[in-house]
Amino acid sequence: MRRKTRQRLSHIILVVILTVIALLYIYPVALMFMNSVKPFGEVIATPVSLPKKPTFGNYLYVGEKIQYFRLLWNNVMITVIGIIGIVFFSSLAAYICDRRRTKYTKFIYTLLITPMLIPFQTIMITLLKAMNIIHLNNSRVGLGIQYWGFGIPMATFIFYNFMATIPRDLDEAATVDGATTWQTYRMVIFPLLKSVTVTVIVLDVMWIWNDFLLPLLMVNSNNKTKTLVLAAYTFVGQMNTQWQYAMVGMVMAVFPSILVFIFLQKYIVEGVVAGAVKG
Amino acid sequence: MKRSSMKKKKGLENVLFTIPAVILVCMVMYIPFVMSGYYSLTRWNGIAKQPVFIGLENFKTILSGSDSFLSAMWFTIRYTFFFVIVSNVAALALAVALTKRFRLANLYRGLFFIPYIMSMTIVGFIWKFIFTSGFKKFFEVTGWGFWNLSWLGNPSMAFWSVTIVGIWQSLGFYIVLYIAGLQAVPKDIIEAAYVDGASRRQTFFKVTVPLLGPSMTTCVFMSLTNGLKVFDIILALTKGGPGQSTYSATLSIYNEAFTRNNYGLGSAQAILYFVFVLVITQLTLKMMSRKEVAL
Amino acid sequence: MKKKLVSLVMAAAMAASVAALPAFAGETEAAVDPSQDSGEIYMFIASPEYADAINTLIDDYKKVAPNVTINYETTQNDYPTLLKAKINSGDVPDIFSSTSGKEIDTYLEYSLDLSDQPLMNTIDPGVASAMASAKEGGGMYGIAIKGNYFGMIYNEDVLKDAGVDKVPETTEELKAACDKIKSAGYTPFTTGFMEWWVYKHVAQHFVDAAAKAAGISAADLVASIQKGEKSIKDYPIACDNFFDFIDYAVKNGDDKPLETDLAGEEQAFASGKVAFMLGQGAWVEADLKKINPDLKIGFAGYPVDDKAEDAQVISGSDQALRINKDSKNLQAVLNFINWWYTSDEGQAWFTDVAGVVPPVKSDKASDFVIIEQGKKLAEEKGSGELAIVDSTDSFHQVFGEAMQSYIAGTTSKEDTIKTIDEQCAAIDGPNAQ
Repeated sequence: MRRKTRQRLSHIILVVILTVIALLYIYPVALMFMNSVKPFGEVIATPVSLPKKPTFGNYLYVGEKIQYFRLLWNNVMITVIGIIGIVFFSSLAAYICDRRRTKYTKFIYTLLITPMLIPFQTIMITLLKAMNIIHLNNSRVGLGIQYWGFGIPMATFIFYNFMATIPRDLDEAATVDGATTWQTYRMVIFPLLKSVTVTVIVLDVMWIWNDFLLPLLMVNSNNKTKTLVLAAYTFVGQMNTQWQYAMVGMVMAVFPSILVFIFLQKYIVEGVVAGAVKG
Repeated sequence: MKRSSMKKKKGLENVLFTIPAVILVCMVMYIPFVMSGYYSLTRWNGIAKQPVFIGLENFKTILSGSDSFLSAMWFTIRYTFFFVIVSNVAALALAVALTKRFRLANLYRGLFFIPYIMSMTIVGFIWKFIFTSGFKKFFEVTGWGFWNLSWLGNPSMAFWSVTIVGIWQSLGFYIVLYIAGLQAVPKDIIEAAYVDGASRRQTFFKVTVPLLGPSMTTCVFMSLTNGLKVFDIILALTKGGPGQSTYSATLSIYNEAFTRNNYGLGSAQAILYFVFVLVITQLTLKMMSRKEVAL
Repeated sequence: MKKKLVSLVMAAAMAASVAALPAFAGETEAAVDPSQDSGEIYMFIASPEYADAINTLIDDYKKVAPNVTINYETTQNDYPTLLKAKINSGDVPDIFSSTSGKEIDTYLEYSLDLSDQPLMNTIDPGVASAMASAKEGGGMYGIAIKGNYFGMIYNEDVLKDAGVDKVPETTEELKAACDKIKSAGYTPFTTGFMEWWVYKHVAQHFVDAAAKAAGISAADLVASIQKGEKSIKDYPIACDNFFDFIDYAVKNGDDKPLETDLAGEEQAFASGKVAFMLGQGAWVEADLKKINPDLKIGFAGYPVDDKAEDAQVISGSDQALRINKDSKNLQAVLNFINWWYTSDEGQAWFTDVAGVVPPVKSDKASDFVIIEQGKKLAEEKGSGELAIVDSTDSFHQVFGEAMQSYIAGTTSKEDTIKTIDEQCAAIDGPNAQ
């Protein structure tokens, strides 16, 4: 009985502490929403007060201005192409690198993850030059393919580290049963990677969907290929920024990716790996 | 005979399964990096049609000591130190809390992640207002002096402001990784520990944490590289100011190459910095993997 | 293996190139009549705040030249970086932007001399002079979206309420006015010192006066420092008067000067509790009116020394639109900009659609107080030289940062002057890259 009360008490304390920390997160985000329904003057004059008369006109204006649904489709396309390639190529490479520890795979692994250390800004000029040569710029598919290359280092790194939690007996057993390497990967390893795959998808969806610099470099020149975040930035100038519209643009750009997150996090929570290993 | 053909086949498979990833990474990262490496040997403003080849001149200039780059390095090291420690401790603690069953857990999990995906310009804009108008209001209400400090205008305060917002912004990323790691810890082992009479704290530090090894390596490594590459958050909040007090290494490189039109010198700085980061991260990885094995 | 790799890459590259064959419909035959033009014009410029207006302009031009398609791209973030990337990948935009003055020569290799174009007859001479190359032979290498006015913005109601009946024109008058303003319970200044570009806008007024005192042009004054021949210390108005002014503004300005950015400055000024707004110009008026429609704005030159005639406003254009001289569709591009600058519709766009200071000779009245007062003051007292364009923004950013360190107290005045002298020569001097 006493133990139960103590547990309940610590539970309450936990929730209280979490709520305080959550407030640190709610406050700025709430400010963004609050300011997105204000006119410009109020955003600047009283940024931290509640809107006097909330207006959703900003949303209508921006939605029409940036051709929201068209750009939404661009975002979906680029993100989906990017994710598929990243997950496939990196899980495959991580599988080989973890299970076959030879000099070659060790070298490949280092080669694959090292680019995480290259700051993007330092290769911008030459990247566009290179992409121009192989015609991957100015196209949504081309941008999606570029994300494969940019996403592989981190994804390989994450897959590789989680590969260690999958018992080797499983794939050794498959090999003994006569499965080829490809079959082992497809039937045994990849299903077991489900939880970490979802993690990689979540992280990469969030990144690709909301990325700014690379799309700016590659697909900004045409309305047919633009992304939502790029459109939101049209309202930002050096000496004149329409903050209310920029914030609306940002809310509208970020919102779909948050939905994806909420949908996918269920899978992370369920702990697929733990269950699968036991079974 | 059979054995060697088997080995050959395996070797071929190794190549076949990894080569697509290698080609893709080379295409967008290594080739451009090497190309800009060439410019480090030139005097070039990024615009002229003909870069002037000057050999190792740029490297000499850097190694003979430019103060501003060194102070940017020092800033980055301090930033990374706090960023790695606080991010990982806080993210792990929050991840543990968030995997407990309570009503708001799902909501909070989404909440912590939002700043990570918000545009840096907007994050910077909102935080600027919090530091100015928001803190002013808090000061009026509470009367506590620290609300009234110049959080962005004072060079030494600006460091903390940038660090706090930096951690705030990316914490969700590490929480997600730790949650995934915690879910991968087999429940039966933990239950077994309880059955053996271990307390909760003991179970956490003696069983869960060691089993979290891989995610910890991932998170520490990622936070390390992200800390060392810190760029956007500074640009959005302080643009490196006041004065040059919050210049990070990458911001300094970017400025040298693009604002001051010394693309050659900037490329040389980028290469040296890349080597520095490579050494740091490799050392850390070595240390961590040794620990993992020892456990 | 190597062979395989190479062929794989080749195959991928070929597949990609087939998929994305560039659609060049460019024709270069000369056609003076725009309606005969065809093809595409790629326009990549900064200043997204004019995106709406420029789209209207493009729509209007479609009626004149139905077969010309203008692809318009704009961004503020990272514009110079992106432009460099595009230039280097061989994808030079037909129309691109840079700052005017010093930076005209930076992009000279890619830029067309517009001296013999019809638009030379209508362009405002002040704007045109900022587009000239300093190289031998000169030439005019750009046009502008807008002219601009720089000066000190004041709140008429605050001055009236504090009993200041004349806008201060000398340092003495300014101090007397500020005392009155303070005792009436207002704050004299809001400064925006968190932004590096605020400093250059203030400093150029001091540079102009210093040049006048030395009997040279502002361009020569800046050049003498760039060459390392002089220090700003040799020009007391540009040095001591400027530093004193900054000190005075910090002391009598925002609570946290280095934390006040453009938005913070607008917030403070529009609240109606501040008398003077520093470092801004014509571009803030629309924003200020949106925050506080009742604000009574006035516009004047800075009191820089003890001579009232030195308190001048400055007009001109600090931004330039450049024409790619190797454009595949050059004639169509030229027809477009000539139409913009010489036709009635094109000229009316500046005042009626974009609401900016027209960069063409025009007597159209503007709705904006700053523009009207600026025009009037320039006629009465003359307008100062646009000295900010004598240095590049690369230098101005370093200059702004040096001043921030000075205000923060991390560097002394002596060291700040040394930094300014050194960096001015290093970044913009004859030996710079």
